[in-house]
Amino acid sequence: MAVDSTYRPPREIDWTGIGFAVVLTIVIVFPLIVVGLWAFADVWRYPSVLPQQFGLRFWYQTLSRPDVWESITTSIELSVTVTLISAIVCLPAAFAFARLQFPFRSLLFFSFIAGQAFPKFGLLVAIAGIFLSLNLIGTFWGVVLIQLVGTLLYMIWIPVAAFQGVSPRMEEAARDVGASPLRVFWSITLPQAGPTIGAAVLLTFVNTFYETEGAWLIGAPAVHTMPILMISFINNQPVIQYGAVLSAILWLPSFFALLFARRVISGGSFARGFGA
Amino acid sequence: MSLAPASDIVGTEKSRGRLLGLLLVAIPVLLVFCMIIYPIISAVVTTLWQADANGKVGFTLKTYQFFFTDGYSLSNLWLTLWITMVGAILLILICLPIALYLRFAKNRLAAYVQGLAIFPLFVPAIILSFAFIRVLGPNGAVDLLLNAAHLPKIRTPYLTPMGPLIGLVWDHIPLTVLILLAGLGSVSDASIEAARDVGAGRLRLLWHIILPRVGNSILVALSFSVLGIFSSFTIPYVLGPAAPEMMGPFMQRTFRDLYDPENAITQAVISFFFCIAFGLFYVRSVVKNQRAR
Repeated sequence: MAVDSTYRPPREIDWTGIGFAVVLTIVIVFPLIVVGLWAFADVWRYPSVLPQQFGLRFWYQTLSRPDVWESITTSIELSVTVTLISAIVCLPAAFAFARLQFPFRSLLFFSFIAGQAFPKFGLLVAIAGIFLSLNLIGTFWGVVLIQLVGTLLYMIWIPVAAFQGVSPRMEEAARDVGASPLRVFWSITLPQAGPTIGAAVLLTFVNTFYETEGAWLIGAPAVHTMPILMISFINNQPVIQYGAVLSAILWLPSFFALLFARRVISGGSFARGFGA
Repeated sequence: MSLAPASDIVGTEKSRGRLLGLLLVAIPVLLVFCMIIYPIISAVVTTLWQADANGKVGFTLKTYQFFFTDGYSLSNLWLTLWITMVGAILLILICLPIALYLRFAKNRLAAYVQGLAIFPLFVPAIILSFAFIRVLGPNGAVDLLLNAAHLPKIRTPYLTPMGPLIGLVWDHIPLTVLILLAGLGSVSDASIEAARDVGAGRLRLLWHIILPRVGNSILVALSFSVLGIFSSFTIPYVLGPAAPEMMGPFMQRTFRDLYDPENAITQAVISFFFCIAFGLFYVRSVVKNQRAR
């Protein structure tokens, strides 16, 4: 049998592909377009299929609401604080896991996956029970702590892979010609591991920005992040456009993640991190 | 990522490395123990050892007895189990064909399909919930289109059990597709060509060659969706019915609105119990994968 008796005949119309593309476009893109239309609809009354009048009226109105600004600053403050602490705490640990030999190294490395064996919200309630006795409920730092725990796994596992990807030979060569360990780290290790670590930091920031459950369970009623304001807009706000405009603003961090992290996610290694 | 011996890199500074290594990992490890392992143990212990009417602390199943005799708690549990089961099965039925298609098609259309299937990863659950209401809610986009075509309106799934079911399936499509696709990577082109050469049809190919090799990935994807759906909060809270409600919103309401942490933590332990088999299997697969690399 010849090798070129391929099971994929060339230039056949890919009906399966067309089917998936059409269905997925309707199911995934169409709902988001509807939200986009609402955000720019100055007037959209039932039963018109399209808005009667487009414009930016509700962008001005939404952006002049104090609760919107309060939630934007709170969300940014929280995400920056959590990402910074996470980086300070996790990156040296990731370096140690990748490069140093110490007792229980493997066990400690895999301890970070422990939380994944439990349904997340149940775990949050168990933590909240402890926070109750520590008076951390309804405080900014309580939310920081609970969101910080959610970042540990990826902020350690992804950078460990990055540090292990750096060739030890180059580092040895640098040390042989007399470079100090710090100098080696700064000039050889960091530039090579940097992009992957950058992606981990970006993903941590974005995930923290959208973290709703911990912020709501621990932070209410004092801490209002953007996703929490969005929930209250959905439940209590009769003006649909406010929610639509807030959705559009809220989507921005995801848009940046989409731009920078898509390659990382489409590659097989990301899915394998989820146990595939 | 394999955790290979580091000694060849560390060289002679072994004893210094041991202490330094432990110091560097101390804070994150401490966080895991204080914020994950301790709360779980504490949740189990505090719900099983409680003070009775005389103030004497002892073993009791009081809160569990309440949960399993309370009609409302039980109907919440059934609703959650139903949505979790149907959702996890639906996800496999929807995502396996997509993953199979993506595994074998290599054209530009396939890249577009893959992009779309992964896209929900970049749509936060709360935006999805808003979009859901604007499309499938009362007088939503679907109603507008049906009305323009002089057809009757749909019976909206918003605020019914179908609401969270649809929303959660939508939300879990990307990772399910990615996990299945990674599993399908282990099916070699050569084995498929060999089977075709001896005359195997599409169905037999799927049944005898492909499915046996992705069985494990299907179980991983199932476990991942079960864990995610069972204790989801945002989507059922926004899209689901007020009563009965899913375990996520139920725990939240018991804890924050009813100020009843004891029963909320009992509900959490019951959720752990129902998910533990899936959770352990999932974690085991992740660990196995990490070690293999």
